[in-house]
Amino acid sequence: MIKLESAHIEEVRGIRKLDIDFGKGTFAISGPNGSGKSGVIDAIEFALTGQIGRLTGRGTQGLSVTEHGPHVDMTKFPDAAFVELRIFLPGIGKSATITRKVSSPKKPTIVPADDDVKAALTEVADHPEIVLSRREILRFILVEPTKRSEEIQTLLKLDEIGQTRAALNAAQNKLQNAERTAGAQVRSGREALQLHLQIATVRAEDLLGAVNTRRKVLGLADIGELTADTKLDAGLSAAAKAAEFNKQSALRDLKAVADAVKGFPDLAKTEAGAIVSDLERLEEDPTLLTALQRRSLIERGLDLIDGPECPLCDATWEDEQKLRDHLKAKLAKSEEARKVQQALVNNGTAVAQQEIRVVGLLALVHKVAEGQGESGFAQVLTEWKTDLEELKAKLATVEGLAGLKDRLTAGWLGVPKVLPDSLRSLTEKVEARPDQTATLDAQTFLTTAQLRLGDFREALRKNKAAEIALASAKAAYDAYCDVLEDELNTLYEDVQKDFSTFYRAINEDDEARFTAKLTPSEGKLDFDVNFYERGLFPPGAYHSEGHQDGMGVCLYLALMKRLFGNGFTFALLDDVVMSVDSGHRYQFCKLLKTHFPDTQFIITTHDRLWAEQMKSAGLVTAKTSIAFHSWTIETGPLVESNQEIWTEIEGALGKGKVEAGAAALRHHLEYVSRHLADQLSAAPPFRADGNYELGELLPSVLKRMKDLYGKAADAAQSWGNNAEKEALAKRKASLAKSAAASNVEQWAVNKAVHYNEWANFGKKDFEPVVAAFKELLGCFRCETCESWLYATPRGNPDSLRCACNGISLNLKPKPK
Amino acid sequence: MATLQQQIAEKFLAKLEGSKDVDAEKLAQLRLLFGEGKKLKADDFLKVFSLPAGGDLK
Repeated sequence: MIKLESAHIEEVRGIRKLDIDFGKGTFAISGPNGSGKSGVIDAIEFALTGQIGRLTGRGTQGLSVTEHGPHVDMTKFPDAAFVELRIFLPGIGKSATITRKVSSPKKPTIVPADDDVKAALTEVADHPEIVLSRREILRFILVEPTKRSEEIQTLLKLDEIGQTRAALNAAQNKLQNAERTAGAQVRSGREALQLHLQIATVRAEDLLGAVNTRRKVLGLADIGELTADTKLDAGLSAAAKAAEFNKQSALRDLKAVADAVKGFPDLAKTEAGAIVSDLERLEEDPTLLTALQRRSLIERGLDLIDGPECPLCDATWEDEQKLRDHLKAKLAKSEEARKVQQALVNNGTAVAQQEIRVVGLLALVHKVAEGQGESGFAQVLTEWKTDLEELKAKLATVEGLAGLKDRLTAGWLGVPKVLPDSLRSLTEKVEARPDQTATLDAQTFLTTAQLRLGDFREALRKNKAAEIALASAKAAYDAYCDVLEDELNTLYEDVQKDFSTFYRAINEDDEARFTAKLTPSEGKLDFDVNFYERGLFPPGAYHSEGHQDGMGVCLYLALMKRLFGNGFTFALLDDVVMSVDSGHRYQFCKLLKTHFPDTQFIITTHDRLWAEQMKSAGLVTAKTSIAFHSWTIETGPLVESNQEIWTEIEGALGKGKVEAGAAALRHHLEYVSRHLADQLSAAPPFRADGNYELGELLPSVLKRMKDLYGKAADAAQSWGNNAEKEALAKRKASLAKSAAASNVEQWAVNKAVHYNEWANFGKKDFEPVVAAFKELLGCFRCETCESWLYATPRGNPDSLRCACNGISLNLKPKPK
Repeated sequence: MATLQQQIAEKFLAKLEGSKDVDAEKLAQLRLLFGEGKKLKADDFLKVFSLPAGGDLK
């Protein structure tokens, strides 16, 4: 997959212009709600996939990347909205830049445009699941088993496998129909042959007995064995072979048809009645009819899908998969319609089988009619045959059957009225012909026998081919299903094992023996988890919301591991472990570091405590994290930055916007004082919820720094380091002076005159406040590297330092 | 690392090698189909399964 080196974002979502250096490592983005964190996630997702997950799915109807991807003030200028990512591709050891504009989300610019780079990025674009947001996290946990199965199958790209299975099944069904038709044609051919030969079975012995009797009349040698090459009329002259009419055979054919006609009214009557009954049910239930009609339409649409454009309405979807899922969901809603559809098609097939037999009989009569010069009757038979063939085509589909209700009620065969009379007339005409000589009878008998044997053999050949095709399709389908089931079982076993391992890693304190079970069956995926060794239950049964949150992330990680293996190098986790308590979050950091050392996670959170925990747990550092203190529509996210904040406040005051400047200063002080309280191990009054007020934090930070300077001065004196002692005295004095100037104590003590009151100040009144706090915060930073000072190690520190070690104050006095 | 789809396709084709109902010609055609990496449709399979047994030699 990829690792992210840096991002440049312009005019996308809530961001105006922002550069972030991710450095290929795990990175934290923190800030209060609405400060633009998720905008960064959206932008990265957009650059990599051309999509923004938050603009798709449930509840997002009417939203689109093109219209809602740009900053709200730039919707008319989507060209100005773009993201440029510098990425590293570990698989091929190359770095590349991908730039994607909102105006053309499907056409990113990739540099270098090497084939391997493009292929790697195409693969990433095909995996929007690299983003896990809070709203998605429970979709694997608290959902119906059928829905979970769909979600996980989609995530693992199993839908493609499902499509292949469905295609194999459809091929098998079509070949089964073809085999049935071929079978019916064999029966028809056999009937014609038996009718002519007057034999009860088509055993070779019986067939040759009938044939050899005639051959004897003609003085021809007996045929001893019936082989594939056997010609029943072998030995006949060409002239003799030309005469096909055999009076007795023709009369038998006509009688057979006349007998069959008597049974025509009852032919497939039950099946035709069932079709009519189902059609009436559809007439009485328009909803069912609509569902069925849509079903047929949707099935056809699914067959025709070849890209994100809907073949039914020409609408363009985000991608082909979403279109396919949409149509599949519609199909799933019409299960009752599916049953009606299946019954209709099955009964239609049964009627069609009888149609084939009737057409076979008609061919016999047609030949006699033509031979006897009954062209009118022959024409009637030709037209009837055409009609029956058209009927057969209609019997194969629901749409076709829908128009056949009247015909199926009145008698589906549509027997021509003239048939009985014409048959009688033709029979009389044949009977009136002089009897053929024994020689001619034998000749025409053999000629006709050979023709019908040929037809029968051809039908057998086609039937055999159809059987072979069906057998191969069935073998392939069964093999695919077997392999699929084995692989999915293995996959789910791997996933449940990894999931349990990850969850135990987070909850080792109280659920060290946790296990889980994923059970796939019939399109469902049941998911049960162990609750304190009392048995397996659905995740929502007893576990807390926090535990369920943890399960969601763990299942996601297990699925991603299975999906990408060692290629799982990148994921965007957007505010995903918020219900997990702080203790378990440390364990979560440990999980990511231990089990996914090569994966770069971009993690956002609105919780400052969690942001600090990620640092103290070693998951990220000050360099691999960024904090947004606020957001405005004009500026986008405002980054906690020593240099930018004062420029930003100055800019706001320059425009007379004291309120904006006051808010920025307050957010900055909140951030810095919290950060310094952590860095210096300050001791504000303890709050169980961790929601410390600025008025509690800043004074405690000031006090802590004074104490640390005091300790450092004592230590310097003990070591006889007078220069450092003097420097520290200056620092302490400067701190006291700045604290007094900023009036920290007043803001902290007097709740009535809270920091928010700055918003009511005039520009002239607020400017000195800004200058005083700027000077005060300067006392906590190194002028060289501009990092905040920190006491180390935590708990009982022995030095006060900055990042570049330009400041390194010893806190330990010389032992006495 | 082969994708799950590829793994299933390989095992599927390997399993069919031992099938008496799918001859060498059909198996070769199936290999080609799965090797193309495109979405497979029912008609693709119909063509393969309807091949005359033993190939298309007359």
